[in-house]
Amino acid sequence: MTYSFIRRSALGLGAGLFVVAPLVLFAAPANAGNYKTIPFQTTRKNAGTPNSSDVTKNAKGQVTKYGNKYITYTIPSSSLDKLGQALFMENCASCHGSQANGVPTSAVGSYPDLVGLGPATIDFWIDSGRMPAKDPEAVEALRRQPALNPHQAQAIAAWVDSLSPSYPGIPTPHLKNANVSEGQQLFALNCAACHTIEGDGDALAYSTFAPSLRHIPAFQVVEAIRTGPANMPRFTGNLSDQQVDDIVKYVTTEIQHPNNPGGFGLGGLGPVAEGFIALLVGVGFLALICYWIGDRS
Amino acid sequence: MSDETPEQLSPHDAVTIEMHQEELAARRAREAQDLADTHTPVAISGLRADDPHLQPAAKNPHTVELVISICFILGICAMAGFGAAYVVNAKPWIIASTMGIGLFLFGVGLVAWGKYLMPRGPFVEERHTLAGDQVERDAFAAAIVERGGGVVKRRKVLAGILGGGLGIFGIVALFPLLRSLGPLPKGTLFHTDWRKGSYAVDSSGRRVTVGELAIGSIVTVYPEGTENTDRGQAVDQTVLIRISNEDFVTEKGRETWGPKGYVAYSKLCTHLGCPVGLYEQQLQLLVCPCHQSMFNVTNGAIPQFGPAPRPLPQLPLYIDSEGYIRSQSDYNQPVGPGFWERTTA
Repeated sequence: MTYSFIRRSALGLGAGLFVVAPLVLFAAPANAGNYKTIPFQTTRKNAGTPNSSDVTKNAKGQVTKYGNKYITYTIPSSSLDKLGQALFMENCASCHGSQANGVPTSAVGSYPDLVGLGPATIDFWIDSGRMPAKDPEAVEALRRQPALNPHQAQAIAAWVDSLSPSYPGIPTPHLKNANVSEGQQLFALNCAACHTIEGDGDALAYSTFAPSLRHIPAFQVVEAIRTGPANMPRFTGNLSDQQVDDIVKYVTTEIQHPNNPGGFGLGGLGPVAEGFIALLVGVGFLALICYWIGDRS
Repeated sequence: MSDETPEQLSPHDAVTIEMHQEELAARRAREAQDLADTHTPVAISGLRADDPHLQPAAKNPHTVELVISICFILGICAMAGFGAAYVVNAKPWIIASTMGIGLFLFGVGLVAWGKYLMPRGPFVEERHTLAGDQVERDAFAAAIVERGGGVVKRRKVLAGILGGGLGIFGIVALFPLLRSLGPLPKGTLFHTDWRKGSYAVDSSGRRVTVGELAIGSIVTVYPEGTENTDRGQAVDQTVLIRISNEDFVTEKGRETWGPKGYVAYSKLCTHLGCPVGLYEQQLQLLVCPCHQSMFNVTNGAIPQFGPAPRPLPQLPLYIDSEGYIRSQSDYNQPVGPGFWERTTA
């Protein structure tokens, strides 16, 4: 009696496991799906996610706008979804898939899953002309003349966001509230290692490089800081919106419009470049003059 | 035989050739004289007024005069512009370039004047010999040695004091050489200010909590209280990176060091101590901007490229009950570049 009960229980348990176990396979991707929404989350207030005090919601309870007096983040309107989907199918789907969930490849970062990355990510890559990619196999997508206009970029961001609403939204920095001196210090600590203190960019590992910041609109600077495109780290809870605003002010003033007392910045390449110019042009010119003075007429 | 001999010149022909040769020789002599007149240095006294050495070098002195006066007029305009720019406080490069152009044009004009309009020369003036003759020199030397020696010998005390002073100065001069080497570092090279339970704070002194950083984020942290000190910013600086949401083990024996995916490494490069501030989140590399040493964040910062000889020391972390990120202890090895007394590999 007891023996057969144990045997039956064991069989039942085994059968049960046999039926239930495959669910684990579904559970794992479900977790992976959750992971997608995690990258930009931060518990710090006023740092790019709508845990700040000022959040606007629409009639359906969806967040449409949030932020503070330093940066306002806007979620593109869902009325753009249809247009966005059409544009996505036309320009993006061949690599990222018709569900924007990417095509897995062996190489790191290729054809990535776009779901849950937030409107700012999508908007940055399209609006800076990096996407649609000119060469999808290039190790680094370069800034180009954008193929799609800002409205189209926002439409695509709206549709991708509708698949799994996430943050950060498309930012608008309010530079009049920013402190350029604080920005300079934060830039030196957080950005200058890669972009150099002059903002010209520099080489990184494996043929990649940090791009120049000389001709970048303010909102794209915020997008890059908050979402960490490609190899750039994400600055989420490590920088508040106020600090990001300060950095953007520094980038858009001192870096993009440097005050060159000598008339020529020489690209801010430093004393080596300046010394080279002085030697080649200055001393060369003086040598020619000396030759003229000393030459017998 | 006669038809074998060279053709005889007629007397008339011979005279003609001789005439030509004389003329040629005369012209050559004239040219040589001209060359000697114009290029041989001469003494300026006693020259005739029509001597070629006194002629201007330029073929067309009037043209040169015109060019020089244009230079001077433009120079005056540039100098006036310099004055105006100075008065209205124009941009520095405008002030500098107007003055520079003005001086340059004056200079060109003056040099051209000297080169093309002055007597072409070259002139020489012989100088009398500078050195006195042997007798004079001997007498002078004898006077110094004998009289001077006598004077010094008469003031033995003063001379002794002077000698003693100079000797002491020589010894004292050695002191700064020893002093300027600075204090001995003693044990400071082996320890940082990270202690058991130090709070990790950012550059503004704010404590970092577990929920703050997203994956792929990096922040430079200091043990609380040192974020504004020289030593804190030099020695204690540490990069805090979040590489996952789960506890992260970089190496065997460091199982508890990376709670919730937070890992911390010394920011001082083990090569020459530069701040290793470049974090490439796709490649999971920390790159040193000075000499491109690359450290793999996921395996304990083992250098995989560049001159760095050792991995970056990892700081063991824990998360307290309130969610603050704190250090379990100091680094288990000296941070930064190597030094003689360093024993750990």
